[in-house]
Amino acid sequence: MNSPIAGNQMSRFFQQVAEYTRNAISAGKYLIQGLAVTFDHMGRRPITVQYPYEKLIPSERYRGRIHYEFDKCIACEVCVRVCPINLPVVDWVMNKETKKKELRNYSIDFGVCIFCGNCVEYCPTNCLSMTEEYELASFDRHSLNFDNVALGRLPTSVTTDKSVQPLREFSYLPKTIMDPHEMDPTNSRAGKLPEEVMDWMKQESESAPKDLVESINNQDKKTEK
Amino acid sequence: MTVLGTLVSTGLDLELSFNNILQGFGFSPEVAHILWLPLPMLLVLSAALIGVLVTVWLERKISAAAQQRIGPEYAGALGILQPMADGLKLLVKEDIIPAKADSLLFTLGPVLVLVPVILSWLIVPFGQNLLISNIGIGIFLWIALSSIQPIGLLMSGYASNNKYSLLGGLRAAAQSISYEIPLALAVLAVVMMSNSLSTVDIVNQQNGLGFLSWNIWRQPVGFVIFWICALAECERLPFDLPEAEEELVAGYQTEYAGMKFALFYLGSYINLVLSALLVSVLYLGGWGFPIPIEWVARIFGQNIDAPLVQIFTGSLGIVMTILKTYLLVFLAILLRWTTPRVRIDQLLDLGWKFLLPIGLVNLLFTAGLKLAFPIAFGG
Repeated sequence: MNSPIAGNQMSRFFQQVAEYTRNAISAGKYLIQGLAVTFDHMGRRPITVQYPYEKLIPSERYRGRIHYEFDKCIACEVCVRVCPINLPVVDWVMNKETKKKELRNYSIDFGVCIFCGNCVEYCPTNCLSMTEEYELASFDRHSLNFDNVALGRLPTSVTTDKSVQPLREFSYLPKTIMDPHEMDPTNSRAGKLPEEVMDWMKQESESAPKDLVESINNQDKKTEK
Repeated sequence: MTVLGTLVSTGLDLELSFNNILQGFGFSPEVAHILWLPLPMLLVLSAALIGVLVTVWLERKISAAAQQRIGPEYAGALGILQPMADGLKLLVKEDIIPAKADSLLFTLGPVLVLVPVILSWLIVPFGQNLLISNIGIGIFLWIALSSIQPIGLLMSGYASNNKYSLLGGLRAAAQSISYEIPLALAVLAVVMMSNSLSTVDIVNQQNGLGFLSWNIWRQPVGFVIFWICALAECERLPFDLPEAEEELVAGYQTEYAGMKFALFYLGSYINLVLSALLVSVLYLGGWGFPIPIEWVARIFGQNIDAPLVQIFTGSLGIVMTILKTYLLVFLAILLRWTTPRVRIDQLLDLGWKFLLPIGLVNLLFTAGLKLAFPIAFGG
């Protein structure tokens, strides 16, 4: 310690110790911050949905099990052609006297279906539609092969099921409300409903200045020509 | 125990009164002693088991709350019977020994993990005379017993004949050995201040001025070191590498099922409760009330040696010990959901390069303070 080199080393050692201590203290501070976060979470309401007793209301665009109306079907097989794996089985025969297709059976295997909704999109007679049913678990995968009778059944709606408490999904809650439990069911969601948007658009077009509307109409005519 | 009871003459002496009652019924002192012997053992076993059941329930409920879930709900009110259901399930499950495993070591492993932990409950005091045996080397016995555990872990890791198990066992052994040393140094500083290894003496030395004389104020660094090391010894979350499920499936427990797995599970939770108990004994004044109970008795004009007051202070002591312990268990559970797991090199770095030097400095510092201020630091 008498020589300057030794003194220099000592001071460097103490600097290291000081930095180490600072690091340790800041680590402790961050740890306490983290503990405060977890502790704060303990006082919050559970965000989980208690499934068999509570269920979320599926959104209107939900792609669930497909519903099928036998009487509307014309056996055109468009659903088969647009299906990624040609899944729907359309069993029909040609009636030679009437020269018309006679549908005998229709089935979709939901163990294989990916619920892409192409068949629903392209069906010319709208005999296919999406339901909000998603509870398709079964003990045997063959029982997922729905025939036209099973496909024609309507699922129990979450909102009408007496044994289930329906809960709105997050995006269907009114503004500033985060928890579906504490919401009055008559409250409407944040933003406008589709029909409200339609009304609003009508009002807009009526109140818009006439010359503007005419000029737009003229433009349309020009393009038609 | 009786010698100390006559010396200090505060608190209940259950053994003495039990023997007196039996002798009143005409039993000889030897028979009375033999009849007394199994009672504390059963009491400690059931206390440890109930402690574990409560801790498991708390762990599940607090974990759920920290993640904004509900947790067990249907087994009993608020899911209070869930740990019982878990235990029952493990009890009736098939006991599998893998075909290529060393069946003797495979069976011996969990036993070797559990027995030292339960044995360590010998030295945990819930009151002046409310412990199994007030041996002079109390806290040293705990440190010695906890060194047996890594052998059991290594044994089961090796005997499983599974790479994950072996790695888990090796990690557990490395971790236990690394953190034993700073732990012992932290305990040594406390022991130096109270001039005794006996847990009862350590608590008595802390309770002169209520919570102001608790060791946590005189040994804040030691407290932190001890708590970190205790978490590492219990393989709690910041240090749960031996069973890191993302890397090692379940570590040394991978091949275990049924009751043998339950022994590991039980061992880890008993160890957690035990560590929390020892932290409260070493640093938080054990059974001591935040205000010295003698002062309270004097304020209310009660004689501290009166039987009713003694029963009251005895039960208050038990309540205080359990309260402090479960506060620490709560902290451990909260830490589990707050801290990420450290890597094995970070773990060993922390143990050898940080806690060990700090523990040594703390010990030296305590020795210096003891020489300089013998009144405050137990001359």
